[in-house]
Amino acid sequence: MELPQLLALVRRGDELAWEAFVRRFQSRVFGLAYHYTAQAEDARDLAQEVFIRIYQNLALVPGEDGCLPWIIRITRNACIDHLRRRKARPPLWDLPADEMFDLRSTDRNPEEAHLEAVRKTMVHRALQELTDLNREVILLKEIQGLGLEEIAAILEVPVGTVKSRSHRARLELAQKLVAAGMGA
Amino acid sequence: MHPDFKATPQEPGMSPELTRAILTRTSGDPCHRLQSLACDFVDGTLEAEQASLVRLHLGHCGACSALVGALAGLQTDLSAMAQVDPGPWFTQAVLRATRHLPIRQGADLREFWWRLMHRPRIALEAAYLGAAAGLMGIYLPMPVPDLALRIPALVQPLGDSALRVAEQMAQAERRTTTTLQRSLRPVAKPRLDSLRRGNLWPRVSSWIKARLPFFLRTPPSPPSPDAEKAPPANPG
Repeated sequence: MELPQLLALVRRGDELAWEAFVRRFQSRVFGLAYHYTAQAEDARDLAQEVFIRIYQNLALVPGEDGCLPWIIRITRNACIDHLRRRKARPPLWDLPADEMFDLRSTDRNPEEAHLEAVRKTMVHRALQELTDLNREVILLKEIQGLGLEEIAAILEVPVGTVKSRSHRARLELAQKLVAAGMGA
Repeated sequence: MHPDFKATPQEPGMSPELTRAILTRTSGDPCHRLQSLACDFVDGTLEAEQASLVRLHLGHCGACSALVGALAGLQTDLSAMAQVDPGPWFTQAVLRATRHLPIRQGADLREFWWRLMHRPRIALEAAYLGAAAGLMGIYLPMPVPDLALRIPALVQPLGDSALRVAEQMAQAERRTTTTLQRSLRPVAKPRLDSLRRGNLWPRVSSWIKARLPFFLRTPPSPPSPDAEKAPPANPG
């Protein structure tokens, strides 16, 4: 079903349509929150909070093209608020960042699946070592596939800055992977 | 690694150290130049001539070919990381959480105020705005008489927290005025009433202008000793 029709049904209170909407976007919302927070539990709570916000503000959800950037924007805002709160009041303990997340992929066989999972874990760890702005540019442009103008609007920086930051961040990430022995 | 980015074996008689030494002493390290072109090369947006030069360099530089290989691998790795499965129970949890929530037809004022009050930096922003409002209240004339007294009644519909903020701002404004009155009393005692009426700055500046010539006036020269000894003029 096309997104505008789905949204119209959700706004009328159709529970099945809302379930379809959640299933369509939950992996993206959770993925973005996970890459921001590096904690699966926190990411799950944040993703749930984002969907509650979306449900309460269904009238504000834009149509087909603007829907995903809008959802990514409010997910990002929720993550930034969460990180600020965590910085101000750090938790008494940290869950290990190693907990493996279930990456959606079409796996060929167990060995390939394991290698792919190890590779993605290394990329995820290398991402956490980038500066905040570089990580955000990678998350929004390379991972979520947003356009330069959309990223510039979300981050409130010029388009040229996004472009140059994107090159620099990719290069930095590749250098970290090579240093970790992944480029060979 | 991508096969295009593998370093090729050196030709017999060629020494990579020699090439590197020559380049270092002439044009500089070519690896720095390659790093600025690597992303465009991987994206395929580099011009053909530049791309062939990059390919030539990659054929002889193991470090750069590893870097470009990692960049090329990142393209597929990163795009595959967009979606992460939150687990089998996530959808049910969201549906349970939203089951009894009402769908709003538009953003209402109460929601806006709640979000505004729960922003992480609201305390800092409120302090800044309060200080700015206090200073403006002192130095600018009030457009409506007794507006400060009416503010609590105006913000009452916004809730208790807004009322508290308004009362604290009014209290801060009164304290600032009192402190200024005390500190300026020895200097500008005759003009203290202007503090209560607002419009302070024009009154203070006119007061200073009126008294400035008095302070800038050159002091009179001391009387000469001859003048003291001079006989009184014709006492008779």
